[in-house]
Amino acid sequence: MILEPIYPKVLSVRRIHGAHPAVLEAYGADPARHNSLGLITCDQDDPTFVALDEATKRAPVDVVFARSFYAGADHSSGRLSGEILGVLAASDPDEIEEGLKAAVRTLEHDACFYSADASGSIAVFPHVIGSLGHYLAAEAGLQPGDAMAYLVAPPIEATIALDTALKSADVRVAKIFTPPTETNYAAAWLTGDLHACRAAAEAFARAVVEVGHDPIEEACC
Amino acid sequence: MSLTRDMVEGLRIALGESRPLPEPLAAETIEPPPKRVFPNQYQRGAYAAKAAAHTTALVGIGNVGTRYATNVVLQFQAELAVAHAAVAAELPDGWATENGLLSLKSRVTDHHEYLLRPDLGRRLDEESLALLRENATTGIDVQPILADGLSAVACMGSGMELLEAFTKECRQRGWSVGTPMAARYARVWLEDEVGETVGARVACILLGERPGLGTGDGLSAYMVYEPRIGKTDGDRNMMSNIHARGTRPAQAAERLALVAGAMLEQRTSGVDLDLSGIQDRIGDAAGGLREPQVREQLVESGP
Repeated sequence: MILEPIYPKVLSVRRIHGAHPAVLEAYGADPARHNSLGLITCDQDDPTFVALDEATKRAPVDVVFARSFYAGADHSSGRLSGEILGVLAASDPDEIEEGLKAAVRTLEHDACFYSADASGSIAVFPHVIGSLGHYLAAEAGLQPGDAMAYLVAPPIEATIALDTALKSADVRVAKIFTPPTETNYAAAWLTGDLHACRAAAEAFARAVVEVGHDPIEEACC
Repeated sequence: MSLTRDMVEGLRIALGESRPLPEPLAAETIEPPPKRVFPNQYQRGAYAAKAAAHTTALVGIGNVGTRYATNVVLQFQAELAVAHAAVAAELPDGWATENGLLSLKSRVTDHHEYLLRPDLGRRLDEESLALLRENATTGIDVQPILADGLSAVACMGSGMELLEAFTKECRQRGWSVGTPMAARYARVWLEDEVGETVGARVACILLGERPGLGTGDGLSAYMVYEPRIGKTDGDRNMMSNIHARGTRPAQAAERLALVAGAMLEQRTSGVDLDLSGIQDRIGDAAGGLREPQVREQLVESGP
């Protein structure tokens, strides 16, 4: 039983309309442009980054804050904390509402981790984004509309799978996150045309599964 | 729906997993939009309809949902076009002469300059000044001056009627009236120089007024006692909206003569002029409330 979806759980969705300027500033918003905030916590950080980016495509919102929590959802500070807090900012409540809707829809129907071994103790996120929003585009140093493979796995799996992915598809590196990240995973953002991104994600997922099957390799010579 | 899900589905099979991916969560259903978003019912309150009957102004025009009714918008555009056309119209060459009037012109040389340079429209050019000195009767009581102003359409429309009626009213009162004349490219203050040149006690310029919606044919009359260059608007008395749907020329001529009489008697004009003695004979008091007005329909409206 492999590559079963592990659906993210949205733990909280809240709004702050007419946020205090100090709060706006502290969380990276611009009091001159932003008035309302939309907050979301979830037990999977990477799908949430993708979901927040999706929000920027569906509504005139900015992702002003998105940070993962240390050691992941299993060690969170409370039942609502999960492993990420994402904050959308916009000029008025309606935009926030549309942005949150898009983010939650993405978490419920699109972006999720998959189990990479039978016991479900290895998770992989071989996500293909057809068209980047302005949030992830800026984070990755790419253009909105570019395709990107958003690849995450535990450290050893991710390291080997990244090498495989880069060798299997005509993609280039936008950014590599070596372990440990806040959640103790490793990740990579690869870009190219959509088919290349898809091929890279597939190679990545396949390699993660393979490492799980054969973690202690026999010396070859 | 999800690019990643499609990819994972294929990879599962490639890796020997026979079961399909679990069904994705059902997406929320989105209500289809209503067939008609905006109402198409024309609405107008009874009060608005009643109020609108008393004016040609754009009040009480009703609404269709959040917009104006189409016929209201078309009517507005048509009326605006009438106003634009009136501003753009020019008194044809020889119009004054054909109507037996002394033909004068301000220092303005063309219509474009006329709109941009009110100062030039307030003074006579050399030729007109010479013509005036040569041909006009001097030392008179009242000097009426017909002029194009901002609507040559109005001047050509009811200008002659007003001029003749006013002249007649003045003569009936035993005053001497100056040579009939018409000025081209004229502003109100042109009456000062004309009146001064002919030595009139009262000058009265009758000119096309700035067109409003649907009224490109309105005349105004400005009257001043002892016209001299340098008189201000505070020295003048005026009457506006002289047209078929406002104050009719014959009625206007009578009222103007009453005001002129007051000027001759009190030897002043403008804010200093005391009209309290004749207020029951001029203005609204004379005719009572205007009868209900009907907007002239410039476009055909559907049901």
